[in-house]
Amino acid sequence: MSELYKKVTDKVFEISILQASDKELEQMLKERSLGLSLEEIKKIQGYFRKEKRNPTDVELEALSQAWSEHCCYKTSRPILERTVLDVKVECDPCIVSEDAAVVEFDDVYGYVVALESHNHPSALDPYGGASTGIGGILRDVLCMGGQPIALIDPIFFGPLDYPEEKLPAGTKHPRYLFSGVVSGIAAYGNRVGIPTVSGMVEFDESYVGNCLVNVGCIGMVRKDKIARSIAGGAGDVYILAGGKTGRDGIHGVTFASAELREESESDVPAVQLGYAIMKEPLMHACLEVNEKGLLTGMKDFGGGGLSCVSGEMAYSGGRGATVDLDKVSLKEENMHPWEIWVSESQERMMLSVKPGNVQKVLEIFDFWDVPAAAVGVVDDTKRIKAVYKGKTVLDFDLEFLIKGVRYQRPYKIIERREKDVEFKMPDLGESIKKVLGSPRVGSKEAVIRRYDHEVRGNTIIKPMQGVIGKQSHGDAAVLKPLKDSYKGLAISCSVNPQFCRLDPYWGAVAAVDELVRNLAAVNSMPHTLADCLNFANPEKPERLGELIRACDGLQYAATIFQTPYVSGNVSLYNEGTLGPVAPTPTLIGVGIVKDVRKAVTSDLKKPGNLIYIIGETKNELAGSEYYRMMGYATQGFVPKAEPHETLESVKALLAAMDDGLVKSCHDLSEGGLIVAAAEMAFGGDIGVALDVTHMNDMRTDYKIFSESNGRWLVEIEKKDKQAFEKQMPAAVKIGESIAEREIRITDGKNKTNLPLDELRDKWENAIQKEK
Amino acid sequence: MTTNACVLIIEGTNCEEEMKTALLEAGIPAEIVHLKQLTGDAPKEKQRKLSDYEILMLPGGWSAGDYVRAGAIFAARIKSRLMDDVKEFVDNGFLVGGICNGFQILTELGLLPAFEGIPDQPTAALTNNLNTNFQCRPSYLKHENKCAFTGRVGIGQVLQIPVAHGEGRLTFGEKDEKMLKELVENKQIIFRYCKPDGSGAEGVFPWNPNCSLYDIAGICNPERNVLGMMPHPERVINKIQNADWTRTGPNGPGDGRVFFESIAEYAKKF
Repeated sequence: MSELYKKVTDKVFEISILQASDKELEQMLKERSLGLSLEEIKKIQGYFRKEKRNPTDVELEALSQAWSEHCCYKTSRPILERTVLDVKVECDPCIVSEDAAVVEFDDVYGYVVALESHNHPSALDPYGGASTGIGGILRDVLCMGGQPIALIDPIFFGPLDYPEEKLPAGTKHPRYLFSGVVSGIAAYGNRVGIPTVSGMVEFDESYVGNCLVNVGCIGMVRKDKIARSIAGGAGDVYILAGGKTGRDGIHGVTFASAELREESESDVPAVQLGYAIMKEPLMHACLEVNEKGLLTGMKDFGGGGLSCVSGEMAYSGGRGATVDLDKVSLKEENMHPWEIWVSESQERMMLSVKPGNVQKVLEIFDFWDVPAAAVGVVDDTKRIKAVYKGKTVLDFDLEFLIKGVRYQRPYKIIERREKDVEFKMPDLGESIKKVLGSPRVGSKEAVIRRYDHEVRGNTIIKPMQGVIGKQSHGDAAVLKPLKDSYKGLAISCSVNPQFCRLDPYWGAVAAVDELVRNLAAVNSMPHTLADCLNFANPEKPERLGELIRACDGLQYAATIFQTPYVSGNVSLYNEGTLGPVAPTPTLIGVGIVKDVRKAVTSDLKKPGNLIYIIGETKNELAGSEYYRMMGYATQGFVPKAEPHETLESVKALLAAMDDGLVKSCHDLSEGGLIVAAAEMAFGGDIGVALDVTHMNDMRTDYKIFSESNGRWLVEIEKKDKQAFEKQMPAAVKIGESIAEREIRITDGKNKTNLPLDELRDKWENAIQKEK
Repeated sequence: MTTNACVLIIEGTNCEEEMKTALLEAGIPAEIVHLKQLTGDAPKEKQRKLSDYEILMLPGGWSAGDYVRAGAIFAARIKSRLMDDVKEFVDNGFLVGGICNGFQILTELGLLPAFEGIPDQPTAALTNNLNTNFQCRPSYLKHENKCAFTGRVGIGQVLQIPVAHGEGRLTFGEKDEKMLKELVENKQIIFRYCKPDGSGAEGVFPWNPNCSLYDIAGICNPERNVLGMMPHPERVINKIQNADWTRTGPNGPGDGRVFFESIAEYAKKF
């Protein structure tokens, strides 16, 4: 092996790939964990033949990062371009989309949206992985010049009672991962003082070997202060601000672009270390620099480190740049130049600044006690160079580095044959208790209360809603981002991996439909979406087929709802020794609230009000919590969706809400009608009597547990009956709120009565009761 | 003379914006000031003196990360650089308020409960919530005694104010009984956690979110011009910030507003 290496300067080697055999190349790639394929290294060989020299180790490492799936989307990009990036909307509200998107809010302000995964780091180090996930997403919003105002955390684990003995070697128990991830999110989010207002917790066997941790962030920026992720102009100075550069997070992106294996434990150095108390002043300082108009560009250090950030800023600005590695302040001595170049150490931002402003910028960082230094200069060469001890150790044509490679990999789409299952209806009361007590459906209070959801004082509708001490799940949070305006943002997230596993297309459509319902339930008009596509190994045709079908579904639904995907992220290779994760296209959605004072919550307000169901309940129980509990998880019909009809309902529902007719509203999703009704009753701490006799001709259990899309429950005062029915002629009255603390279900002669507190007890203890 | 409030921060303080907003809405000119601006460590144009102000507010957050005992590092920095100024400020009868992390800092500084002047060592601690969990939830407070910060709050009035902390349980360790007696006798207990109807929380979760001694949520010094409390009045200035406003309507003040109005009224005498 050593004959391939030739010392260039201290700690830098030239690697003789020009003459190397395929076998030698493969050996070298493996030894250096470069994550490049033979085909790719041969393409690199071709490039250096033209350059008439061998690459240095710094250069090969840079290519390995830049060409990873995580950085260049070599598999997913073509699919995204014809689906989620091609949602045709009449009026595109997106102003710019880079590390995060900026979207029109009002005449002066835009809101910022970013969503990412931090899956593989969290599977190895749940606390560290989750907290640095938060750190990264905050920087994405920050680098647009945005003040982060809210965090969103959808997280996915194996069952908490998974038998220890079934765990493969090297895999951590779901309980450990779950508590570590929640603690990590809390530790970082609470420390930086950005409220975590929305999220979801999903449990499924497919996440045992590979948990998913997605993180979203919403911010606000004045439209005349939007920062771009570019190098401004020739002569501008690159200033690296924030934490020092260390050996943590080396090869993070190549690690993210491979399956998790038993030996992955040894990849712990690929997990970055977070430090919230560097981030908090870093945010203040970056926003101050931007506010004062002292920068020409700003970008956060994410996957690929200095290599990615300095190259991509120069490329996006149509420039070139030279970075001096000796100027980068290091956490430890003796770091190799290639390590400095690709380290993914946290809490770092790169700023592009006119030479005349450098001193002013450095003074601002100094005031906030945040280290900052000039590390490079922008030029017009369209090349990226790195200098170490006076010697050029990297010199690339940016086009070659950034454009990378693209693949059209083979894929296979598997159509599922739908067939219903026949079984005798079990005891309804017992089934209801079981469904309410399942971890997927039950109370998430033990997670929600760990996060500060109202720091900054702008959270008008909070994640738990209802009578104090009796609060229940809401559908979305509402923020009032501006002091002088009642206009608000509704924030929610969704995905049902059970549906996606059975049918990625309809599962994806359902994710959009549910998100739209969530946003509408608080009286907001769905505006934009962001997608985080968590899928398995795309080199396996069936897995890639799932991604393609899901993207088709995402495009179809979003086009009808006129809600473009303004930001997104793809995480592939979510596959461990136990197999692939269920296809998980996590979505976050933002809705516009015309007036936050008209927002609606899920808790029943008083006895004697009427309960209506909006939308049609069908025999669609495949993947439902009820069928899962019965052992029929993969049978039956997957919920389809009629986005056109959902959209019509949304419009009518919002009009009724604006007229003050709707006292409470809740979306029907996991667990169906009965779970929505129970949660509304829990929050109001009163009972509800449902009569589903005339809803349709199905069995009672199908009626109350079906997970059909397009549905809500609403509470209406008797005096408003006529006005409401005029607004929403398709809504069907199915019950009343009652003073007795009971849930009553009548279906013809079939009657079930359940004490509210007994049901609440099941629901509260599903994961962990707050005490 | 206009009364000015200093909202004091270091890295990791994170409730300063809403604190400033709450003060401004009550008509009190307020500015956010980094500790280094008071200790001569900032550029000249940014330097301030504590004596420029009549109200010092220590907002919530995780100062310096609170990786050791909450508030300890912020308190240590004040002690080493600013303690004489702070003592003089308190002796002059000016107001010092600490919310959440601010309460922890005031306790670390010995400014609370300060039975007999300001001791060198803290006499009380705000330690881990008994259930060991960070808690973000609404709480109900009963106003037990008046102090400079609560002049407009009626005795026995119940306020719904949210908490968000992991270390909020007031304790004196083995001296709980003796010190509690003293707090009660001096009427230093300002707020106690209670149930929505004003009856005592009696140490029971969730009404007492951290199981603090005697349901204590906030105390003042014997001179009544230094207050520390765990709940966050600055988060509920308008009714739509209270957790259950959709049950009663959006209009009107939040339960925390009266706290800042009381400060404004008291400050008229400066």
